[in-house]
Formats: sequence, C-alpha cells, structure tokens
Amino acid sequence: MLTSADESLLTVRALGSGYGKIRVLHGVDMSIAAGEVVALLGPNGAGKTTMLRALSGLLPVNAGTVRFDGRDFGRITPREAARAGLVHVIEGHRVFTQLSVTDNLLLAGYDIPRSERAVRVEEALSFFPEIAEKRHERGGALSGGQQQMLTVAQGLVRRPRLLMLDEPSAGLSPVLVDRVLNVIGQLKKQGTAVLLVEQLLEKALAAADRVYALVQGNIALEAPTSESDLAKRLERAYFGHESHALEAS
Amino acid sequence: MLASIIAAGLASGAIYALVGVTYNTMFSTSRVMSFTAGQLAMLGGLFGSMFTLKLGLPLILGFLLTLVCCAIIGIITEFIAVRPVLKNLDQHLYVLSTLAVALMIQQVAAIKWGTEPQPFPRLLGLGSGVWDEKFWLPVLACVVTILGLEYLYRRTLVGRAFLAIAEDNFAARALGLPERNLRIASYALAGIIGGVAGYAGGELLLAFFANGALLNFYGFVPVALGGLGNNRGAIVGGFALGLFQQAANFLVGGIFSSVAVFTLFIVVLLAAPQGLFGGATARRV
Amino acid sequence: MAVVTTSPERSDAAVPDSGTWRAALTHAAPFFGMLVLALLLPLVGNDYWALIGTRMAIYWVLVSGLNLVVGFAGHLAIGYVALLTLGAYTTSVLVAGNVMPAVPVFPALAVAAVVGAIFGVIVGLPALRLRTFYFAMSTLGFATIVTQIALAWQSVTGGGIGIAGPEFPAPFNTAWGFYFLCVGIATFTTWLSANVARSRYGRALIAVRDAEVAAEATGISKPKMLIAIFLLAGACAAVAGGLFASLQTYITPDAFTFDLSVLFFIAILIGGRGSIMGPLLGTIILTILPEIAAPLAAWSTFLYAVLLLVIVLVMPGGIAALLDFRNRKPLASNRAIVPRPAALADIVRRRTGDNALALRGIALSFGNVKAIDGLDLDVAPGKIHGLIGPNGSGKTTTLNVISGYYAAKGGTMTLGDDALPPGMPALRAARGIARTFQTPRVIGEASVLQNVMIGGTVEGRATFVESLLALPRNTQDERMLAGKARALLGVVGLDGLADVRADRLQHSELRFIEIARALMLDPDFLLLDEPAAGLSGDEIDRLGELIKAVSARGTGVLLVEHHADLIFDICHQITVLNLGRILAAGTPAEIRVHKEVVSAYLGG
Repeated sequence: MLTSADESLLTVRALGSGYGKIRVLHGVDMSIAAGEVVALLGPNGAGKTTMLRALSGLLPVNAGTVRFDGRDFGRITPREAARAGLVHVIEGHRVFTQLSVTDNLLLAGYDIPRSERAVRVEEALSFFPEIAEKRHERGGALSGGQQQMLTVAQGLVRRPRLLMLDEPSAGLSPVLVDRVLNVIGQLKKQGTAVLLVEQLLEKALAAADRVYALVQGNIALEAPTSESDLAKRLERAYFGHESHALEAS
Repeated sequence: MLASIIAAGLASGAIYALVGVTYNTMFSTSRVMSFTAGQLAMLGGLFGSMFTLKLGLPLILGFLLTLVCCAIIGIITEFIAVRPVLKNLDQHLYVLSTLAVALMIQQVAAIKWGTEPQPFPRLLGLGSGVWDEKFWLPVLACVVTILGLEYLYRRTLVGRAFLAIAEDNFAARALGLPERNLRIASYALAGIIGGVAGYAGGELLLAFFANGALLNFYGFVPVALGGLGNNRGAIVGGFALGLFQQAANFLVGGIFSSVAVFTLFIVVLLAAPQGLFGGATARRV
Repeated sequence: MAVVTTSPERSDAAVPDSGTWRAALTHAAPFFGMLVLALLLPLVGNDYWALIGTRMAIYWVLVSGLNLVVGFAGHLAIGYVALLTLGAYTTSVLVAGNVMPAVPVFPALAVAAVVGAIFGVIVGLPALRLRTFYFAMSTLGFATIVTQIALAWQSVTGGGIGIAGPEFPAPFNTAWGFYFLCVGIATFTTWLSANVARSRYGRALIAVRDAEVAAEATGISKPKMLIAIFLLAGACAAVAGGLFASLQTYITPDAFTFDLSVLFFIAILIGGRGSIMGPLLGTIILTILPEIAAPLAAWSTFLYAVLLLVIVLVMPGGIAALLDFRNRKPLASNRAIVPRPAALADIVRRRTGDNALALRGIALSFGNVKAIDGLDLDVAPGKIHGLIGPNGSGKTTTLNVISGYYAAKGGTMTLGDDALPPGMPALRAARGIARTFQTPRVIGEASVLQNVMIGGTVEGRATFVESLLALPRNTQDERMLAGKARALLGVVGLDGLADVRADRLQHSELRFIEIARALMLDPDFLLLDEPAAGLSGDEIDRLGELIKAVSARGTGVLLVEHHADLIFDICHQITVLNLGRILAAGTPAEIRVHKEVVSAYLGG
C-alpha cells in the first residue's frame, strides 16, 4: 500500500539517529498519510523510542531526511514540531506531579493564545471523562492509568495532525489499555494521523491500518494490517531470520 | 540585648535566605549550582548605592534600575557560563564556569567601586534602635519576595512552567515548553531576587565588594540545610543561620562565630548531605 | 582469582626493555628541560627574577600536591590557601619559639609537613560524602576559618600584627641560595607526584573521578585512595607555606588571600586534568602574568578568571590537551575490530573449579515497584547463561544485585559455599566477579591501554609509598599490568589503538575495551550487560566467538542481551524474565519454541 510522496503527511528516508556515539537507527524509511493509523512494532532495544524522539527533535537526525507536511524536519526542536502539528507523547506516563491536571494541560498549550487555551483543554478532557472529574487534583494523586490518559490528553491539546504515542499501554490494566486505544479510533474518525509504538501485538494490529516492524535499527517488515499471516511474519522478523534452534512449525 | 540579637539575626537571616532562594531559582531550571548568587546580592548593594546615592536618582527609580542591572547580569551568566556547559556531561565544568564569572564580577566591582565599603543611603528614614529600618527592611523584602514567588508559581503559567521544568526537564521539553527561554527568564529572576537581597540589606551590610564572597557562603548554608531546590527550607535555614550567628557573635565574639557557623555547616552536611528537608538521592547505576 | 602464571615473561619479551626506557625518557625530557632552564636562570636574571622564580617554585610545591586532589581525583578544593596558611604559621611559630623552645628551620618544616598532612585529610574528607559544589564550598569555609583563627589567636600568631617568617641557614639565606632550595624541593615534589600519576594509584584516581561505578567494579576503594593523596597534598602545601613565610620574611593573615587560592586552583585547570606538565606550565604562566605589566597586577585575578572561563568553554582539556601531539594524528576511519580469541589461552588460566554462582529467591523493590520478585539463577563455571526479557523485566537490576550496587531485600547469593554479601560492590573483584556495563563506562581522557590497565589495579603489589618513591616493586607492577593489558587488547582486537585517547574511539570499540578491562582480573565469573548493543552484525559474531573462548577457559558468563541471535547462538542456558519473575528457563532450543516467551516478546 504505497502513498505517493505528495500525499504523505510524514516522509522519512534513510533516517539515522542515536545517542551520542551509539547509533541506533541505521537507515529507516517510513511514510504516514494524513488520517492514517500506523503501528511501529519491534523487540526491545530495536530503536522504536529512538525513532519517535528523532522525529520530534528530542534526538538529532544524524543521517537521512524527515519531511512533515512538506517541511524539512531535520533540525527541528520539539517545540517547533508540536506547533507544526507533530506531537509526541513520550513513554512512561510522565506527568508533572506537583501541578494539577488542569495545569498539566494548560502547559501543554503553552504556545496557544490564552483565550483559545481553555477551550482546547476542555476539548482534550472530553476524550477522558475519568480525569475530567479530577481536574483540580495534583498529577501525583492520579493512578498510573489516569496519568497515562493525562499524557495523551496533553498531546491532544495541540490538535495534532500526527500524534505519536510511545507505549501508551505500558503498565496499564487491560481495561485501561482498551480505553486508551479506543481514543485512537476516535482520533482517526476526526482525521488525526497516529503513529503508535506498542508492545502488545494484537491490540496494535486491531487499532492500526498499517504496521512497520523495527528490528535492530532497521525496518524488517511493512504491511497493511489486513494481511492474514501477519503474526507469523512478525515473529520471524523479531527472532531473526536464521533460527539456530528447532523450528516452531 | 536579646532584642538586638533577634533584630540583627532576623535581618541578616533574611538576606541569607534570599540568597539561598537565588541559588535555588538558578538551580531549578538548569540543575546548576552557580557561584554567582552571592555576587548578585553584592551588586544589589553596589548598584543601589550608585544609583541612589551617587547619581541621586529617586528611590523607586534607583531600586528598579538596580533590579534591571542585576537581571541583566543574571542573563549574561546564563549565556556565558551555563548554556555552553549544559551540553557537556562533565559535572564539574559548571562549577568552574560560574566560579570564573563570579570572580570576574567580584574583581570588576573591586576595581570600579574600590576595596573599601561604600556608604549605602538611608532609604526611608524610618525607625531607630532595634526597630530601625536596616533591620526590618530585609525581613520585609524577604516576605514580599516569598509571596511574590508563591503567586508566580501558583497563579501564572510561566511560574508553573518553571515548576514543570524543575521537576522533569525531559518531559517539559517533549511537551514543547520553551526550555531555553524559561531558563534565561529564571536566571533573570534570580538576578532580581539577589538584587532585592542586596538592596534591602544595603544599610546593614553596606555596599562592599567583599560581600559577594561572604554571601556566597552564608547564602549557601540555607540551601545546604534546607535541601537543594527547596525554597521553604532555605527560608527557615536562612533565619536559623542568622539568629545562630548573632547569638554566637554575642557569646563568643565575632571571629569565633564564623568558626561556629562553619562547624555547624560541616556537621549538618556530613550528617545529612541532602539537607535536613531534602529528598532522596538519585539512582547511580 | 588467579596470579597470572605465563604472561609476564612472555610479554616482557614482547616489549623490549629499550622500548620502556625510551618511553620513560620521552616523558621525562620536558621536565629535565624545565629544570635546566630553572638552573640557568641565575645567569640571565637579577634579584628580582630570583624573587619571581622562587615564588613560582614555592607555588608549584603546593600545586604539585594539590594537582593530585583537583586534577586527578577531581575534587574541587578551592580553598587550599588554608593549608598554605597553616604551614606558614606552624613553621614561623616553631622557629620563633613563641610557644615552645625554638626549633631549627628544617625540622620545623618537617613538623609543618606532618601538621599539613593531617589537616589535608580533615579538609579533604568531606569529599567522600559531599557533591562537587558542596565540597568546594566547604573548602572555602575552611580557608576562612583558618584565616580567622590566625587573626584571633594573637598570643601564638601575633594576630593582625603578624609574625616573622623563618630564616634559613647559609647557603640558603641569599636570594639565589633560597631559590635553589625551593627549586630543589619543587623538583622533589614534582618527582613524587609524577610517580603517583604514572602508577596504578594515579590511574585509580582518574577512574574514581570519571567512571566511579566502573572503578568500584574493579575493586578500587575510593576512601583509601583519597586519604593517601590528601596526606600528600596537605604535606606539600604546608611545606610550601613554610617556604612562603620565609620568602615574605614577615607574614600577616592578609598575605593569605583568596586570590592565592584561586591562582593555585586555576593553574591546575588551565594546565589540564590528569597531567603534571600542564599544571606546571599553568603555575608558571599565572605567576608571571601580573609581572609582565603593572596594570595587569591589579587585574590579575580577573585575568585568571577569564582564562579559566575560556579554558572551560573552549578547551576543557587545558594546556595538556594542546600539548598532546600524539592524539592529533588522525585515526583510520574504517577500523575493524578483529578479536583473536585463541590468544586468550596465553593469558588466562584454565579453570577446573566447581564453584557456581547461585541466586535463590532474590527480591528487590524500588518504592512500590517489584523490580525482582523471587529469582533463582545459577551460573556454572565454563557455561554461558543468557538472561533475556522485555524492558523493565529486571535483567540489568539482577546484574546490579550480583555486582553489589543494589542490596536485595530478600533471598541469598552464594559463590560456591560462601555467601556473597549484599551491597559492597568494591569487594566483588576480590571474589573473582567482573562485569561490563549497559553504557560503556570508560575514561575518555585516558588512553585505551590505561583504561584496560585499570581493570587490574587490585592485582598490583606495590604500596602507595612504594609507588610514591618509584621503588622496584612499582616498576614490576607497571610492567605486569601493561603487559597483560596489551595482551588482552590483542585478544579483543584493539591492540593497534593502545595509546589512543579512549574518547576518540567508536562506541563498539568502547564495548570491547570494557571486556578487556574485565578480563584483566582473570575473573571466575563475567557479567556482561548488553554487550552487543550498537554493534554491527560482524562485530556481534566476533563478540560471540570471544565470549565462547572466555567461557571455554572455565569462566562462567552471565549474558544480559536483547539480540536474540546472539543469545540463541552461544548460550548453554537461558533464563527469561518478565516483570521481575522467571517466565521460563532452559536450553535455547526449549526457549525458542516456548509459547509464553514468544507471546511475552510480542505482547499479549
């Protein structure tokens, strides 16, 4: 399923990135069209988090190109990326524990004019009624799941064109996982593209249109989620092409 | 006797507390302990004396100009001593860069204003004896500053952004907060707080270039006692220090009071390196 | 933990004696040059220059000792003028005979050295507990205290009026006579500090400064190191104080300004950390600076501060980095790491022991999160045990518990029949446990060879005093450590890079350096924390061969990894962790088809 470069909201070519001397991504290609939900899967240490950080400007782009909405994102800062519509919700449900839920959301809208800000905060809270009723409580008083919802809500304050979620299900109960992933469905309906990094294979496949598998810094697989033997193909991609043990099947 | 000890203790304690808050303000957004905190307070006194006494400007104008100058010095510190070394993982570099800037400030002050204490003008002409303004002005300044900071941190978005950056720098950056601008703003704010400390304390400490080094140390003790980044602890620590010092002054004389202060400082630090109210240490491995 | 039986003779033959002599001579030549210049000064200068030269020498006596504290150990002792003051007053008071019968000047100097050594430890001890800035502040406090006491204790020190400095007997009582005395003492302290710098103690100091966690794993004890150099630095500073008092002929507390402290401190940083020549040049430059032009004298401290800022921002390595010509030579850009695992047989002995490393019921929580929840693990000698699992499953935490960085709240660890005490990471090296780290912890400013030599620090036999005085046992140690390190670098395939500064190397090369460093101890157990992260496919294959060779010699290997290929390829046993508990344990074949393992990795 190819999207031409013109239509793609996000186009990544031969992306190389890493932490200082440690090169994690070795030439990654990816594209995401407007309104598409794409899942980025892969084993630990593959570079999924690194990829999102390189896209949003938290890590430098050492090689290759990143274009978002026609604009070169090679040297972007997280602030500029967010303003342009590329919002990154980082992993670990890191909310500001000393500030209230409302304050956390207001800060997400720091660059938005004050009059507009309150509207956006309400809009973001409408996705998560559970935390809307806790709007005056400190971030530290929320449970892990509620904090995760808060970080996603923070991402929504900016009305992103592409929302990148890094392992939103980590540490959450299955009910809450479904809750968070439902939001993705709502976003898709209103035309927001989503790049979802997930560990939970089945949930990710259920929510996404297309999937990329990242293994040891390279894209090992790209396919629409409608394909039938996807789970098997992913397993093979994860555990390496050569297996030195008995084959499973 | 007791009254004058308390008056002098609270006054000097207020100055120390404000310098401690200056340290904390710079630390909270940059994780840097800067040697310039005491120098900013020293400049508050020197600029105040220059604007109000030498140039004869009206009180309010002189005060505001002093704060502006101190804020500028704070911003310059961020530019030349903090930002360039933040990228480097080497911990010790910021100690050296801020030490260098502090020394430069001190030497320029000594050369421009001379090595003798300069007189500081009588600001309001209110009170006498233990109720003299040189005793209650610093305390008033401290209270007003604390209230102002509370308002800033609780009621304004900028203040809350400061708190966010202080708590989790990475998350704040990822959220799109203008990290660099906020850091510069906090260094300007630190300059202002230092300037207030020096100006309000001018009648007590006079305008003296050596105050910089003195306040660097005595203003650091509240931070050590109260825990890094903890303003409330710094206030309590500052007043405690001021009172302790004045009491020691009275009991054993000026020279040994500084020995007493220092011994207390070392003992507390070795017993509780995080301060008496400080938080737990970070994971090393 | 073995004494290496075959290596020393072999590696001695590999590095001919003339090579060692030549290297030593190259190192010593600049110092001899400085000494010659110093001895020639009387021929070209007048009494004024004698004064400057003497002052320079005296300052250097202090700075050469302080250099070990600031430049090598990395503790920012800004207030060292306190010890200068102490030494000055002690000597003067003893010679003047205020409190006891007058003492001749040389014994007085010796007493001052002892007093200085003791106070050097007192001033320095907070460094063991306090962070950088806090410690710097505490030394400033000390400086103030000492000056205050000198002012107050009038009966002994003369208070604000001061006291006469000691006079030296002929031939040292002339300008040039005293100059030569000071140069002589300065030469001696230079020699002492250079001996420390080039011994395993010097390397250990740098290791504690730049890679403290890794230093602990190699068995280096920080407190013992630091106390030794605090004693030395304090003694040097006090002797400098005595000489200073004589130079001034009359001392008051005013003479010991904060500016002096600043000069000493900045001279070291301008010179560059980890160097002797750099701070020596720094001291000379800073002493001469105010003398070049009169206006500069008033601005001298300002200039020192500017110099410091410039160095910090532009050239943190200081003058030493400027003079490091060897590291200017470009490195080949497409270097390959080609280990020679077979060479391992020459260096490490084959073990036949039966002692296994066993963990039973280990439990550890961070706050409410159970990082490890009842873990049983066995690492058998000569076998490779893989430890895998999703992020947050507790793999690295397990390694950290075995290494002693974390103390488990429950469960036991045994090595053979003996229990491994929880905590106390510095004791693991002695028990034969070595490790590498998730992110390489390597000393950037040191050479590759020095980094590897640090791994064998605890195997050295010479005491600190023997190293200080360059006695034969120290030379033997150095030869042994260097030889073994070179051999191990050959094993891991990095021998061509032995003298290159470690921070110029690529990430993958740093990983192999860590392995060579760990092997210096000839460990019974080797813990590897994600050694393949960031390595190319070829490098991972070679890493696998190397690990297999290590285990073939009888070392038990515990390998934490994400790279499934490597794990399934070389491990004899695999344990899979999930959320701190064992999900599965068995041979690679069993694990590969284990349904729960597959789904844990794929989520579900």
